[in-house]
Amino acid sequence: MQLQLNDIRKSFGEGENRTEVLRGISCTIAPGSITILLGPSGSGKSTLLNIIGGIESADSGSILLDGKPLDALGDRALTRYRREHLGYVFQAYHLVPNLTVRENIEVGAYLSSHPLNVDELLRLLGLWEHRDKLPNQLSGGQQQRTAIGRAIVKAPDILLCDEPTGALDYATSKEILQLIEDVNLRYGCTVLMVTHNAALSPMADRVIRLRDGAIRDDAQHDMRVHAVALAW
Amino acid sequence: MIAMRDPLRRRLLRSLREDWGKYTALFLFLFVLISFTSGYFVADGSMKRAYDESFETYSIEDGHFTVKAPLTAEEISKLEQDKSITIAPLDYIDRETEAAHTVRFYRPRAEMNRLDVMAGRLPEAAGEIILDRLYAENNEIAVGDTFRVDGADYTVTGVAAFSDYSALFESNNDMMFDANKFTVAVVTDETFDALGDAGLQRSYAWRWNDDLTESEARTASTSLMSAVYRTAELTDFLPQYRNQAIVFTGDDMGGDYAMFQALIYIVMVILAFIFAVTTRSTIEREAGTVGTLRASGYTRFELLRHYLTLPLLGTFTAAVLGNIVGYAWMKKITTGMYYHSYSLPTYKTVWNGEAFALTTVIPLIIIAVVTSLVLWRTLKLPPLQFLRGELRAEKKQAVLKLRHGPFLNRFGTRILLQNLPAYAILALGILFASVLLMFGCMFSPLLRHFNDTVVNAKFAEYQYVLTEQAETNVPGAEKYCITTLQNNKKENITIYGVQPGSQYIPEVTDTALISEGYLLKYGIDVGDTLYLREQFAPSNYYPVTIGGTIDYPASLSIFLPIDQYRDLFDLPEDSFNGYFSNEKLEDLDEHTVATVVTQADLTVMADQLEDSMGRIFPLFGGFAVVLYILMMYLLSKMILERNARTISLLKILGYTDREAGRLFHRATTLVVLASILLSLPISYWLIQIIYRAVMLEYPGWLTLWIAPWIWPFMVLLGLGCWFGVMALQRRTIRRIPMGEVLKNQD
Repeated sequence: MQLQLNDIRKSFGEGENRTEVLRGISCTIAPGSITILLGPSGSGKSTLLNIIGGIESADSGSILLDGKPLDALGDRALTRYRREHLGYVFQAYHLVPNLTVRENIEVGAYLSSHPLNVDELLRLLGLWEHRDKLPNQLSGGQQQRTAIGRAIVKAPDILLCDEPTGALDYATSKEILQLIEDVNLRYGCTVLMVTHNAALSPMADRVIRLRDGAIRDDAQHDMRVHAVALAW
Repeated sequence: MIAMRDPLRRRLLRSLREDWGKYTALFLFLFVLISFTSGYFVADGSMKRAYDESFETYSIEDGHFTVKAPLTAEEISKLEQDKSITIAPLDYIDRETEAAHTVRFYRPRAEMNRLDVMAGRLPEAAGEIILDRLYAENNEIAVGDTFRVDGADYTVTGVAAFSDYSALFESNNDMMFDANKFTVAVVTDETFDALGDAGLQRSYAWRWNDDLTESEARTASTSLMSAVYRTAELTDFLPQYRNQAIVFTGDDMGGDYAMFQALIYIVMVILAFIFAVTTRSTIEREAGTVGTLRASGYTRFELLRHYLTLPLLGTFTAAVLGNIVGYAWMKKITTGMYYHSYSLPTYKTVWNGEAFALTTVIPLIIIAVVTSLVLWRTLKLPPLQFLRGELRAEKKQAVLKLRHGPFLNRFGTRILLQNLPAYAILALGILFASVLLMFGCMFSPLLRHFNDTVVNAKFAEYQYVLTEQAETNVPGAEKYCITTLQNNKKENITIYGVQPGSQYIPEVTDTALISEGYLLKYGIDVGDTLYLREQFAPSNYYPVTIGGTIDYPASLSIFLPIDQYRDLFDLPEDSFNGYFSNEKLEDLDEHTVATVVTQADLTVMADQLEDSMGRIFPLFGGFAVVLYILMMYLLSKMILERNARTISLLKILGYTDREAGRLFHRATTLVVLASILLSLPISYWLIQIIYRAVMLEYPGWLTLWIAPWIWPFMVLLGLGCWFGVMALQRRTIRRIPMGEVLKNQD
């Protein structure tokens, strides 16, 4: 599924307090690719991700999904869009606290008419042994694996990851990045990942650097480096 | 592909377990409320049905008349043919017990006004008697006991519901029936004959042969009265629709129906808001998850359905179980109340579809609608706001600057501002509970106070009403005139004609005085002219201009100087029909005395009310206390849980559980205290309105009086409830872990 962004602009506040967070972002994301949105805090990368995810609206500009404009969609249609096409992973996991690992993943499966096999996915995620545990019985990495499982179980076209390793230690972060890479390779979904860690860049097909709401650099990689080989 | 069931369902049981305190409290409250109201509705419906059916089952008369001399068989036959009625003799004699209770003896009844024997059997031999069941209970008379009346001993063979005396009115002119001092009884013909002729009333009951509408019955009754009048010397004529002993019960039944309906709906709305606010608090706690679910494609409706499930399941379960318990046991409270007031026949519990709807369907709708409206407002927020945890309005606004005052006060203010909706509901709930509590507390003291004022304001120890003018030599007896008219609301108004310079009512000089109860009830002003009518000749009306008021709470009355009275009714100059006296007038022939009003007669209304309703008043008080505790417990628990992270941090900083609790309870204590204090005048104001509306439907007027102890009692009780809840909440605070909250923070 191709994603095309045309002159996306977004600002917050009014009058003197007005801050332009996105200043005309345009790019096209190829289907099945891994794209990293890289930038320091306040560069507008999370806002851009949220606009793509349909949970925030742009002031101007348009987003085309396989040529169809997203910004014209109403609230209900946006929900359907998220339901059918998107998977979301956040830094803070946001699992349902009193559902087990398996059930949390089933929460995602419920939204799809053709979900992935939950058992297979639990094994892939390395959560099989933990499938009957509640989130508070898991480590941070296991919780994030569960969150990824919940996002990908509905076989989304696009996986949006907002600082997915932001709350994790080095080793666990690498495990999670490997997992995202595996998911991309195995299911062919487009991955759009927001991070401030430049060291993750080599694992992406494309790295878009943002600064002060504008694209400072847009680099395509001919060869991806496997997440396992990353170091920072 | 089989559609998958929403996996969020699986957390319902766990959520229930995690929040068992909240759900148990709400469930129990709903269960008790629904079982009580369902029991009331079922019992009321069943008893009303038993009462309605008793008219046919026991062939209750369509009226009766009393004549001086017995009618001949020909006269009876002619009346039956001419007026298409069936007549049955209904002779009776009143006799007194040693305790001055009146026993009305009847012969066995076969044709009309049959008895429902509730224990024992009908009398079969001389000296046997069957009594009214309620009178027997009130006077602790059991089957087999000996009952002494007018010097003769009778063996009580049974107790029964007399179908024509469901309310034990001795006289149809009495303001209130008296099941303590008046009873009806049936003895064998032989025993009845042995009572002699003195005071024997030749009475006949009739039933229409055709089914008549009420208006047809009224017309036919007037025609029958004329016919009997032409046939014999008529002393009493009482069609069924005017016979208080028969119709009073039916009129009173279901009188509380609307009140209970209003009660359940108001409580349901309050509970719905509690459900809504506490569920909203859960959503706030789970904001990140809700945001993720929304961002993943969950619709608002799916989440609303999820968060509504537990409140609705809880309400439904409480309603179903409440109805079962209501049908099986709680109905006994209401039937007990009815049986304690009225001489009703045996009832059978009947399925009441309306009761089921009122206690199940409508509560579910109220909970669903109110909770949905509140939650929908929250769930309408965009997913991003959930993800950022920006659900509360104050986060969007500038932070209120609180620079002055001690830290504790500022902290309390912040808690107050943070939880305004919850505190608003708490205040509303306290107000409602206070109204119930005041209602529950006020009645018994009010009735006792009424009796005290009636006794204090009575004119004389004895107030004789005569059937014809008769002289007495007892010193101090003072002649007066009395009659009863009706106002335009068809309420009986007693008109007195009082001697100038009366030693009993010296207030009466040259103008008409109105009793204050009458003035208050109908909003009459001094100077108004009232037009009063004769009950049986409404075209005859009498104008009376009010010149002042008089403190006479016993009845709705007007006091005229006796000359004005005689002029008004066009009576001779020396006419009178009563005596005020502080001594018993022993020299009057008993045939000339229609009635003697004593202190006991003045207090009978309040006594009877206390007797029949006395058991239900404390229930209101108890219900109010439970509501106080429920509201305080749930809302304070919600506030603590909402601030679990802060409490955890405070603990880490070194605050003790008690200190942390104090910080949060300070604001709630203030709200509780302010709400209780504010609720006092508001409750009083609301009760004044409700009370007036109730009294307008009620004969007479009981002045609203709140015993002074009730005010501090309500404050202390409310605060006591809160301090109890506060002690309970220490457990909640103690259970908030330090590490866990920090670990889970986003």
